[in-house]
Amino acid sequence: MSAADTAPAEDGPVTMMDYFMQLEYHELLCPVVRRYASQLLEGRLVGHKCPSCGLVYVPPRGYCPICVVETTDADEIVLADKGTVTNYTVVTPVQYYGQEETEPFVRASILLDGEGGMMNLQDIVDVPVDDVHVGMRVEAVWKPPGERNVDEISNRSWGSAEGCIDGWRPTGDPDVPAEQLRDKAF
Amino acid sequence: MSRPAAVVGIGQTKHKKKRDDVSLPGLVREAAQRALDDADLTWTDIDAVVLGKAPDPFEGVMMPELSLADALGATGKPIMRVHTAGSVGGSTALVATHLVQTGVHDKVLTVAYEKQAEGNAQWGLAGGRSGGMGAGGIFAPWMRSYMTRSGAPEHIGWMVAVKDRRNAAKNPYAHLQMPDLTIEDVKESPMLWEPIHWHESCPSSDGACALVLTTEDGAKKAPHPPAWVLGTAMRSELGTFPGRDPVRPQAGVECAHEVYDMAGITDPRKQCDVAELYVPFSWYEPMWLEGHDIAGPGDGWRMVESGETQIDGEFPVNPSGGVLSSNPIGASGMLRFAEAALQVRGRAGEHQVPDAKVGLAQAYGGAAQYFAMWVVGATLDAVDQKR
Repeated sequence: MSAADTAPAEDGPVTMMDYFMQLEYHELLCPVVRRYASQLLEGRLVGHKCPSCGLVYVPPRGYCPICVVETTDADEIVLADKGTVTNYTVVTPVQYYGQEETEPFVRASILLDGEGGMMNLQDIVDVPVDDVHVGMRVEAVWKPPGERNVDEISNRSWGSAEGCIDGWRPTGDPDVPAEQLRDKAF
Repeated sequence: MSRPAAVVGIGQTKHKKKRDDVSLPGLVREAAQRALDDADLTWTDIDAVVLGKAPDPFEGVMMPELSLADALGATGKPIMRVHTAGSVGGSTALVATHLVQTGVHDKVLTVAYEKQAEGNAQWGLAGGRSGGMGAGGIFAPWMRSYMTRSGAPEHIGWMVAVKDRRNAAKNPYAHLQMPDLTIEDVKESPMLWEPIHWHESCPSSDGACALVLTTEDGAKKAPHPPAWVLGTAMRSELGTFPGRDPVRPQAGVECAHEVYDMAGITDPRKQCDVAELYVPFSWYEPMWLEGHDIAGPGDGWRMVESGETQIDGEFPVNPSGGVLSSNPIGASGMLRFAEAALQVRGRAGEHQVPDAKVGLAQAYGGAAQYFAMWVVGATLDAVDQKR
């Protein structure tokens, strides 16, 4: 807080004040997510492929909500750490308490190569935000093994590999035509 | 449904960036008292209270349904909380309606609110972490997908923003009062989440909305015309799964068809006189027109462009100014339901659509995954008279 914030208000009575409290909790990961996190630490991106419909879930959920069938370690597949941007936005950060971003940043959906699998809310790095586009080919930028952590992985993760993958950078390969990605908005 | 239910009381607060003239209990009570006054009822007449609001971290007040019981006259009466993210105002009204329709209670007060100035919704949505992108950041890519898929030109979003702000200027309760906003202003305003400009985005508001729902007998005794609830529907789906179509979510399609079927609507574009749709970002107007099968694929933006959704058009959308003009999040859905009811009661004042007999209201929430809709009519046979 600056001195100005704590100085007595001169414009009239105080009607509201900020109250910061802290609440710390530790979330125990369910076995499927725990396995996903341990694989991330090893530098592998894994998902579950539904034995019924073949859709790929990353991170795995332990079930396919469409077919309503359980998926297990037997359905685990190693996914490519390369893919294509299917959609994105450039976010102008709002400076709420705890926000560390100050400049516009990208959040993108990435369709992984090979067996597929979609990852949401991914950062695109090593490229100006204005150059990001649908169809852009990207690859994961892994942290060095000793620097990886899975502190931000949660049971409700939206495709996050935070702590292990710093973001995705352009490979320089030719774009995938945007028309082929229209139903991959996610 | 076992017996008809009707809206006989509607109340809302003046929506503002910061209502520091009232506490949280004061805010909800202001809306509730106005709804009771409209229905000519007192607190003691109410059998039960149904409360709705968006996630607790938005104000940092946990389980407010308990602490607000006194302010809502609910001490010693049944009170419950409904929780369906941004669609909550709509689903809360539906739960209250169902309590009447099923014969559990005769007079139900339902209230929804948000006091955004007492917290930070973006902080709440980000779970306190850095890098939060807000609701707009989640929806922005889907708007781009809609534009690509439908071929909509970018000025459609600007047109919706101008229309809703001009409508809001006819609504004394609306937060943003911008009667002179122009297409140029919208286009030139800062980009928040590409392709959403500042003026294409909803404000952050403090406000509340309340409704009184009652039986056929209660409606006969009410001092003002009722709005009859002719159809109700709620649907949800997962926020992300492979193969999901977030531009036209299946839950939204099914919710719409269920509410049309229940109300006897076969052609919503012809048979509804007015619609209040949850449009927090301009592009959601054409997206929901198509997503709820009011317009055919690629026709939603053409309805906007031709002026059909203006207050004097063939299918007015958000004559109140909509979420784009007032966004007390938890209340925003109920405001849609309330405004549709005001229209068919003929009590919408300066933003009244002439001779509105059938009104459609919709609210959505989460990652466009929760839906709540109702159809209200000036009479129980209002839809039949349209066919």
